[in-house]
Amino acid sequence: MKRFLTLILVLTLGHVSLATAQDSITLGLSVDQLFESRVGVNNAIKAEAEKRGYALIEVVADGDAQTQNQQIQSLITQGVDAILVCAVDQNTIERALMAAQRAGIPVVAYDRDLPASRVVAAFVGPDSLSDGREAGAYTAEQLKAVEGEKVIVELIGALNDQNGIDRSKGFREELASLDNVKLIEVPTDWDSARALSGTQNAFQANARVHAVYAATDTHVPAVETVLADLGLLKKVGEDGHVVVTGVNGSNDGYQAVANGTADGIVVMDLDATGQTAVELASRLLNGDAVDRVNVISGNFYTTDNIESNKDTIWGAR
Amino acid sequence: MKTFSGDALTRQKWLPIAIANAVFSVLLAFASPAFLSLANFQSMLVQSAVTAIMAVGMTFIIITAGIDISMGAILFFSSALFAQLMIDTQSYLLAFAAALCCATLLGGINGLLVVRFRMSPLITTLATYSIYRGMAIHMTGAQNIPVPREMGFLGNGRVFGVPVPILILLVIVVAGVYVLNHTRLGVYARAMGSSTRSARESNLPTAPVTIMVYAIGGFVTGVAALILLARVGGLQSGIGIGIEFTVIAAVILGGTKLTGGSGTVIGSVFGAFFLVLIENGLNLMNASPYIYDIVRGTVLLAAVMVDRLSVRRQQKALLAVKAARFDQPQSVGSTT
Repeated sequence: MKRFLTLILVLTLGHVSLATAQDSITLGLSVDQLFESRVGVNNAIKAEAEKRGYALIEVVADGDAQTQNQQIQSLITQGVDAILVCAVDQNTIERALMAAQRAGIPVVAYDRDLPASRVVAAFVGPDSLSDGREAGAYTAEQLKAVEGEKVIVELIGALNDQNGIDRSKGFREELASLDNVKLIEVPTDWDSARALSGTQNAFQANARVHAVYAATDTHVPAVETVLADLGLLKKVGEDGHVVVTGVNGSNDGYQAVANGTADGIVVMDLDATGQTAVELASRLLNGDAVDRVNVISGNFYTTDNIESNKDTIWGAR
Repeated sequence: MKTFSGDALTRQKWLPIAIANAVFSVLLAFASPAFLSLANFQSMLVQSAVTAIMAVGMTFIIITAGIDISMGAILFFSSALFAQLMIDTQSYLLAFAAALCCATLLGGINGLLVVRFRMSPLITTLATYSIYRGMAIHMTGAQNIPVPREMGFLGNGRVFGVPVPILILLVIVVAGVYVLNHTRLGVYARAMGSSTRSARESNLPTAPVTIMVYAIGGFVTGVAALILLARVGGLQSGIGIGIEFTVIAAVILGGTKLTGGSGTVIGSVFGAFFLVLIENGLNLMNASPYIYDIVRGTVLLAAVMVDRLSVRRQQKALLAVKAARFDQPQSVGSTT
């Protein structure tokens, strides 16, 4: 009887202790900077954390790696249980992440992987290579009947951003099936004003441009501006239409495809990214093994099916 | 005796950058046949409009030996205010008026802080950059906000065949040239830039002039914001990041001295055009995206070096004049 009571007591205390531990879990969310899609992932993280009863401390570095370094140190000092980080720059924050490791705090990278980090336990983010391939395969299919030189303008994201690099790489891989391709690379640094001027210049330099690929579909309105300027803004299926594709899933991209001025966009699943980030942190806190890299492929929607999938497009909600 | 060209280059601050534009244009015409077309030149003028309009305001500020790092943030805030008000009120008039007034006010606040607390313009506007940008992010929740299609007229429309951004740029440039060269504000601004202390001792209204030049900077930034918003089709949270450095580069390239006291509006506009010319040239030649920053940085470095050499030359000339005066025999007083 005494043993039984002791067992009950231990189990009860254990349960209370576990419940307390669960209740008191605090996640630190270190954000590089705020823009629409980042806010989308962050909102998904916050919703998932709330659903699980976790507290969350969010810090935003405004694109400054040194600030992010200090903010991560601050999260450690505040005693967070796990850190979710989208890094401005890996090299700068690695020291702060090592401090987290010494404090026994697991680190999950989201959206932007830190492949060389010795601290990051898991990464979740878009499958940018696959996203780029989706857009590339569509473009290649549309241009295969074009005779002679096929001129394609590629609006590249930031040259030091792995997502931008992979989107470009995937897109080009699929273009390999086409012959006689002239690819015009326009660096944009994710800036639509630069995308606008670069597209304008590319259209001035080439009498006929067959396709434009934007590493982020937030550039699509800028592309439309140029096409409208030159009288080339034709809908899909019309003569002289320029094939326009992009990656992201913003309202800009959705509207352009829904209107028929752009052909298709690859839509990232921001909800799944946010939920998986919290899930990974939770499993790491429980001591479970997790995969180091967890990628979530986007879905490619064209003028044919974008309306029927509107609910799954984060920018269209 | 100085040669004509050397004298002209020294007196006409905008001439070197105008020549640089011409030389670079000739080189590009050889490099790419697509360069020498009216459409391409028109396209470059439209592209340079936003930077050039802001450069007019920045010229006034730098001439007083000031600087405004917060221009990009003012651009972002006024764009955000416009986009948000269009959603909330659907009133173009209200949204335009509020965006322009707010941009002018934010610029004026910079000037007020600089004169009231005698703070460094660099540090002051660095701080307000963060505040203004934060306010805009807070207002919009970092969301992209599309602007109505009709607003595209401001960015892509034409009046008598001339693109609207070019017309707006012309109006701003004419007004800027007039104010800088033919009004007391312009004279006082130059005097302050040459020596703030002397300007104060001469009882020039340094405080109102400072506030006014920063307010002008804010106003033209508001105008540029509306054009940019119309051209890119909507508000994005990355809008305006780093544009202040492009604007400052345009002003320096245009011959305005960072130390103040000297500069021209026309030079700054040529400077803005030159930066677009470089970008255009790299695009036309399908240059590797990795060399864009190198080329831009090299051009700016060259401009700053030329600026420093010019300052040194002027200082030397000034010293020579002083020495000559000192060496002259004191004959005037003794003979009378």
